[in-house]
Amino acid sequence: MNAVNPIITIRNVNKFFGNFQALDDVSLSVDPGEKVVVLGPSGSGKSTLLRTINQLEKISSGSIVVDGQEISDPKNDINRIREEVGMVFQSFNLFRHKTVLENLTLAPIKLKKEPEKEAEKRAMALLDKVGMVDKAGSYPVQLSGGQQQRVAIARALAMTPKIMLFDEPTSALDPEMIGEVLEVMVTLAREGMTMVVVTHEMGFAREVGDKVVFMDEGKIVEIAPPDQFFDHPENERTRTFLEQIL
Amino acid sequence: MSKKNVVIEVGDGAAIPDPEDKGLFTAWRISFFGTIAIICYLIIAKPDPYLDIIKFLPDGIMVTFKVTFASIGLALVLGLIAGLGRISKNRFFNLAASTYIEVVRGIPLLVQLFYIYFALGNLIRVPDMVAAIIAMGFCYGAYMGEVFRAGINSIDDGQTEASLSLGFNRSQTMRYVILPQAWRTILPPVGNEFIALLKDTSLVSILAVSDILRRGREFASESFLYFETYTMIALIYLMITLVLSKLLSNMENRLSHYERR
Repeated sequence: MNAVNPIITIRNVNKFFGNFQALDDVSLSVDPGEKVVVLGPSGSGKSTLLRTINQLEKISSGSIVVDGQEISDPKNDINRIREEVGMVFQSFNLFRHKTVLENLTLAPIKLKKEPEKEAEKRAMALLDKVGMVDKAGSYPVQLSGGQQQRVAIARALAMTPKIMLFDEPTSALDPEMIGEVLEVMVTLAREGMTMVVVTHEMGFAREVGDKVVFMDEGKIVEIAPPDQFFDHPENERTRTFLEQIL
Repeated sequence: MSKKNVVIEVGDGAAIPDPEDKGLFTAWRISFFGTIAIICYLIIAKPDPYLDIIKFLPDGIMVTFKVTFASIGLALVLGLIAGLGRISKNRFFNLAASTYIEVVRGIPLLVQLFYIYFALGNLIRVPDMVAAIIAMGFCYGAYMGEVFRAGINSIDDGQTEASLSLGFNRSQTMRYVILPQAWRTILPPVGNEFIALLKDTSLVSILAVSDILRRGREFASESFLYFETYTMIALIYLMITLVLSKLLSNMENRLSHYERR
């Protein structure tokens, strides 16, 4: 049916933290350009799943293939794979000792050996895209949470990744700043970026998601298109979850 | 989530002047200008013997500085290696660094000085000053290792994760992201260690190294003016450490520019 090869294939992944099983036989595939939204109660393993995709968490067993490369295979250079996979964190994690512009240019200059001028030009274009050009010379500590997160998205984009991972990107933000960050993410989605988003923003999930993945206790409970997921959830646990949050 | 407010307390060494203290009479100003006033008074009021003493000391001051700077350079290199070793997941590297720190911290500096100077001096003949520098650097490197370890650990894990997610490997992350930030946390305790080391270089006067104290002892033993000589030596040490602590606090202030809102 589907002629396109998935860009991410997760097969039978288990992840243990000591005796605690954070991921329990998880399988999921993501097509190029697809937007996958991962929902679930806290502690359900959704962030852990996201973090296994660029190996910030090593999996205990199973297989994850990103852009044709098995990431747990030591023959593949995980650092090169990570260049293809941008990540945005709940706590922004901008480099505190670098200006906004330097945050964007550091990796392209050091890793891709991009000339400084060119890296800066591209960085400014990305900052323009997230509406942060006038803060190029500021340090992260001088920015609001929403501004930091927009810069963090631009920093990830500066490596021209094929995939973007978002780990609860708006959870640490004051309510009035959530909109500006979601706006940037919606724009990115419209441009066709492959996105895997862990979030509690149901509006975003419904508007942007191609499919919604619901997790509970380390397992994927339900995978469905947003309309079906929100209007006709199949699973009992999904229904309970939706009742609690909506 | 954030570890940015971690302060590393190191009890030894001179107090770094508080840059926030904007009053006219700060402890630093009272000590510094008081010291200068006393030195000037002594030289002018009683040039014999104080002027003679101070004329006798410059060579020693130079030696003290040489030993201090060379030792701190060696200590910083050893400290960085030891600090990285302490946080390394490589078992051998980690154990080697930890053992170095344990052993060195368990032996008094003076004993280490004697050991490297006399005991090792039997095996390899090195110039006096070099032996002193190796001993001081070796000892302070262990203390510095703990400072580096604490400083690196004080940086939020999110910084490492962000760097790795961009494609930097572990050592690039250390070099471009962690160490430049850790340096700011590390600077005050390193500054303290630096000043403590400068004072501890007075121990090398027991070896045949002609630092300030040894020069003073030479003067005193010829003139029998012990009180006057050691007064002057104390004042000179005090002046040097006060100037250094001021410089360090200014440097610290400049390094924190990116934390200012």
